[in-house]
Amino acid sequence: MKAEYINPFLDASIHLFKTHLMYSIKNKPPFVNQDNQNLHEVSAIIGLAGDIIGAVVLSFTRETAIAMAERFSGQKYLAMTKEVLDAVGELVNIIAGNAKKDLAEFRIEISLPGVITGNKYRINWPQGVPVITIPFESDAGDFTVNVSFKEPKKR
Amino acid sequence: MKFLIVDDSTVIRNIHKNLLKEKKFSEEGILEADNGATALELAVLNDIDLFLVDWNMPGINGLDFVKKIRGMAKYAETPIIMVTSEAAKYMVVEAIEAGVTNYIVKPIHGNVLWEKISKYIKQ
Repeated sequence: MKAEYINPFLDASIHLFKTHLMYSIKNKPPFVNQDNQNLHEVSAIIGLAGDIIGAVVLSFTRETAIAMAERFSGQKYLAMTKEVLDAVGELVNIIAGNAKKDLAEFRIEISLPGVITGNKYRINWPQGVPVITIPFESDAGDFTVNVSFKEPKKR
Repeated sequence: MKFLIVDDSTVIRNIHKNLLKEKKFSEEGILEADNGATALELAVLNDIDLFLVDWNMPGINGLDFVKKIRGMAKYAETPIIMVTSEAAKYMVVEAIEAGVTNYIVKPIHGNVLWEKISKYIKQ
């Protein structure tokens, strides 16, 4: 997958976590995720449809998810509450929605976000399409942004 | 002053609501809905002075909600602020054409949101 399709998601993530939530974050180089499954305990998923078909998944540990939900909402959470799940869903929604600005030549619809939690789950990614993982280190913990979509046809 | 916050995210509704409460607006005047259909009912039953509306919601989405609201005579001039993560230019254009007064892309800090919406608020 071309960098021009991944960079909008990388830039949107940096804008959200660094500029808006003011975390100290560092991204490692994106890589093709061969086993597609190195996900943390909390994953927020959003589908892409239209000119680009695929999904974006933001994945954290429970502790990182709670810390980020607290920073985002300005509220204190002691556990994985409904509000934490809601906030995590909103974070992936913001990444996908903001990334569309830099994919201006395409018409993309984003689905409502869903959140999966647990120690053992699999995501059924689109068949035959690579999953690109962007790993991040932050002072709230490590997390990944995972993007998979079919190479789009330009209009 | 009566506000209607329309967003399927509880956290976002709370952020907006807390901002308005910080600005000394009464909680009774802050109505909220987590989808477009409930929001329409509230809009019909109340006289809303300002709408804060998300785009992506289950059922009637924010854009369709705005079109329906603009079709009601009593809301022909009422400020409707769309607050959404949708940053694509063509969507901003579509929203403005549907009758949105201002378009704000999330994420946004409370003070910046207030700066943008306060000019539409009758104190």
